Amino acid sequence: MNTNPMHQFEVYQIGPEINLGGVNLSFTNASLFMVISATLILLLLFLGTKKKSLVPSKIQFITEMSYTFVAKMMNDTAGASAKSFFPFIFTLFMFVLFANMVGMLPYSFTVTSHIIVTFVLAAAVFVGVTILGFAKHGFKYLELFVPKGVPVILLPLIIIIEIISYLSRPVSLSVRLFANMMAGHTMLKVFGGFVISLGLLGGWLPLGFSVALTGLEILVAFLQAYVFAILTCIYLNDALNLHH
Amino acid sequence: MEDIKKIATRLKIAKEKIQNKDVINSGSNAASLGKALKISTELVAAVVVGATIGYILDSWFDTKPLLIIIFFFMGVAAGILNVFRSAKKMHEKK
Repeated sequence: MNTNPMHQFEVYQIGPEINLGGVNLSFTNASLFMVISATLILLLLFLGTKKKSLVPSKIQFITEMSYTFVAKMMNDTAGASAKSFFPFIFTLFMFVLFANMVGMLPYSFTVTSHIIVTFVLAAAVFVGVTILGFAKHGFKYLELFVPKGVPVILLPLIIIIEIISYLSRPVSLSVRLFANMMAGHTMLKVFGGFVISLGLLGGWLPLGFSVALTGLEILVAFLQAYVFAILTCIYLNDALNLHH
Repeated sequence: MEDIKKIATRLKIAKEKIQNKDVINSGSNAASLGKALKISTELVAAVVVGATIGYILDSWFDTKPLLIIIFFFMGVAAGILNVFRSAKKMHEKK
């Protein structure tokens, strides 16, 4: 058994190597667990909406709860004008949530503990929101970088700071999710390793910690998906309504 | 008539209680943990982005250490601005 706590983040190839124009597109364990998360979401939504009974079954209840949860979150943060983006936010939230939760299972792989995965998600949000802002407001969207009531002398400085602040959005969005997932899983593995190495005599304390940390990690897994979705809503609101 | 008035006041009290509950729930441990995690990365991200922009501009204009220093501090300013803004947003919600 490998006791290296970072071993769980290794990406390896499953099946044949696929090379498309010099780009390695092989199916890896990361892709496998993305497919598993997506399949689980589809399965949940399919089973949950199949029999629309007035008194919901458990699975229908979970489906409806996730819908109302995201709908309420969007309503609170982005307002009614963002209603048409519900499918996007819902997909994003469910994917991140399921990727995090599937990662909590033993022997699984946490897709969101890789910065490239979270950064692609965040960059998609960032580029999409920017295009949306320009499409909706034209060049007036640049007013986002010019806060009201600033003296003209300070303006060049403020604009640069605002641009850096705007560009930092995808970075903070992706790093937050990635760092939380990776740190949590590393910590779990380290404490798990302590249980083995301290043996029957001293292993009980880290075992207790492991149990507590697992609970905390499940909370963090949910929380990070929530934060990711809610920040996307806030950025969407900025682009749609043009104010800070 | 008095009965109706009594019921009206009782309804009012009950509604206020429900609203207060919402406020307490929004400040629960999980929500505050989320807020804390959110704010801490915001500061770091802006500094990193600022320093990266400075580094790139430096290699463009061949002004090696100058722009990275300037943009690092710009990044710090942007980070503090980010933190200030999200803290303000949280305050407004409550």
